[in-house]
Amino acid sequence: MGSITKQGNRRIGSSIGIALCWAASIAVAAVCLFIIGYLVFQGWHAINWHFLSTDPVASLSEESAGGVRTPMVGTAILVLFSIVLILPVAIGAAVYLAEYMDERWWITRIVRIGLETLASVPSVVFGMFGLAVFTLGFFKFLSSSGTEGGSMAFGRSFLVASIVMGVHILPFVIKVAEEAIRSIPKSLRQGALALGMTKWRTIRKVVLPAAAPGIATAVVLGMGLAAGDTAIVWLTLGGTMTMASDAWWKFSNWLPVLRGAGSTLTTFIYFNSPAGDGNSPGAAFGAALVLIVLVLVLNLTAQLLFRRGSKAGS
Amino acid sequence: MSGTRPPVSAIRKGVPVSDTFMTADPHDTFSLLEGMLSSSAPRVRDGVAPAVFEIRALDVSYGSKRVLHDVSLELPEKRITAFIGPSGCGKSTALRCLNRMNDEIPSFHSRGKIMLAGQDIRGKGVDLTALRRAVGMVFQQPNPFPMSVYDNIALAVGEHEGRIARSTLDGIVEQALRQASLWDEVKDGLKGSALALSGGQQQRLCIARALAVKPAVIMLDEPCASLDPISTARIEELLLELSTDYSIVIVTHNMAQAKRISDKVAFFLMGRLVEMGDALQVFEAPARSETAEYISGSFG
Repeated sequence: MGSITKQGNRRIGSSIGIALCWAASIAVAAVCLFIIGYLVFQGWHAINWHFLSTDPVASLSEESAGGVRTPMVGTAILVLFSIVLILPVAIGAAVYLAEYMDERWWITRIVRIGLETLASVPSVVFGMFGLAVFTLGFFKFLSSSGTEGGSMAFGRSFLVASIVMGVHILPFVIKVAEEAIRSIPKSLRQGALALGMTKWRTIRKVVLPAAAPGIATAVVLGMGLAAGDTAIVWLTLGGTMTMASDAWWKFSNWLPVLRGAGSTLTTFIYFNSPAGDGNSPGAAFGAALVLIVLVLVLNLTAQLLFRRGSKAGS
Repeated sequence: MSGTRPPVSAIRKGVPVSDTFMTADPHDTFSLLEGMLSSSAPRVRDGVAPAVFEIRALDVSYGSKRVLHDVSLELPEKRITAFIGPSGCGKSTALRCLNRMNDEIPSFHSRGKIMLAGQDIRGKGVDLTALRRAVGMVFQQPNPFPMSVYDNIALAVGEHEGRIARSTLDGIVEQALRQASLWDEVKDGLKGSALALSGGQQQRLCIARALAVKPAVIMLDEPCASLDPISTARIEELLLELSTDYSIVIVTHNMAQAKRISDKVAFFLMGRLVEMGDALQVFEAPARSETAEYISGSFG
């Protein structure tokens, strides 16, 4: 009899546990759906061709606030440049961490602690640090000149913001890429070594191609992270809502555009939102919706790549 | 599979004429005789082939754990030698010494001599790329690279030949696939993923990959462990064909398999080589009681 009662208690306990886990997962989905639903509800009416094809105007009135054309371009520039800048470093570090480093070495521990620390630094700190570094006169080539004849650089440009953003997403991209490389089965490496390939050739010719979908996932997730950050853009891209350089679409203007200040979707949201500097909640919600769609597309792409990769790897 | 050896003409299918006739083997008459023997009897072939590998007093340890004690044996040229014994007896370790795959294990340490063509392969100056080209290896789990059938072989060839003409490469790929009796099944899908092949086809692709770089020895570590009986039969048939041109070493848990295909058998137990001899002798009249117990299924 005693054992039967105990079993009954245990069954009730496990039912409660399962119910709690179920509730928690439903809650997560609900919060996510609520936020997206609210964004769609609030931002939907702001989105039209005019909103997507005009540049922002600093205005107190919602009607003349303009659209998100240059902020979208700014997000694209920043995301692409930051990922391209760090990709060689990220892949190199991921390969070294996954393939060559012995976890017993003290240097491995230092690198791991360094990466974890870097990953936990808030982006506003990166922004502040970047501004302090890139306003040094030495870095004048990265941003338009500061005060005429002054010794300091302006320190705010797409180039500066891309570098700082790159550092911000670097540990994250390394982590995901390292996992992708580690997930390649040992049997493949052994097969390549047994054919007389050196370790380096094995990595280059067998492991990295096999890990490519996973590395692509790391890249796309890193891009999503860069697209969503505000503090770094706010501090190192000029604290403005407009593109500093005129006629940015002309290819001959690429250098002034990259060395100039600008905005992204995130700073557009900030400068328009009543919670930030502005008074155009409609425009802010519209831009937020565009941004969310962009990040969702990036994440879905990442999932697709990952799924295709794991299918090919099994 | 009928289990009988195919006639010599069939054995040589896919082997270039020069390879077949220039290196005519005086013992080939025995292969002819064997075609008439049934599969239940161990294979009979002359045991006096020259040695391709000579292992002398080999000791191996992983850290402080000794896994091989004083192993000495010779692997005959162009014969199939089977390493048998219960799990953990050291047979796979012995196999992996032959292409120095154990080097990947940090705590691995060995003493003794492993002579290949008169040269000790344990030395520091040994070029592992050249060694592993001469001594190909096939693993327990088929491990084709996640790329096309063609590229699986082309990659192996490219490692050793460098840049070669496309037509030459095409020829090498075809020949390797023919030697591995895989050509007819994959010739229309060379660009298709190797992972889409069946397990048995994947294993034959791995054999083709090893053959493509023209090894002298092919080692197989339980190559049929994950395969169904039909795929297993095809691999065995293939190994018999290949044994006219290559020295083959196979680790197997399957006594019937060892009986069916091997010329020589080495029985390992607890890190020691208990006995090695002609397959017929080991299976029909083992010299040691441990061998008799193992092959009759008393332990392992």
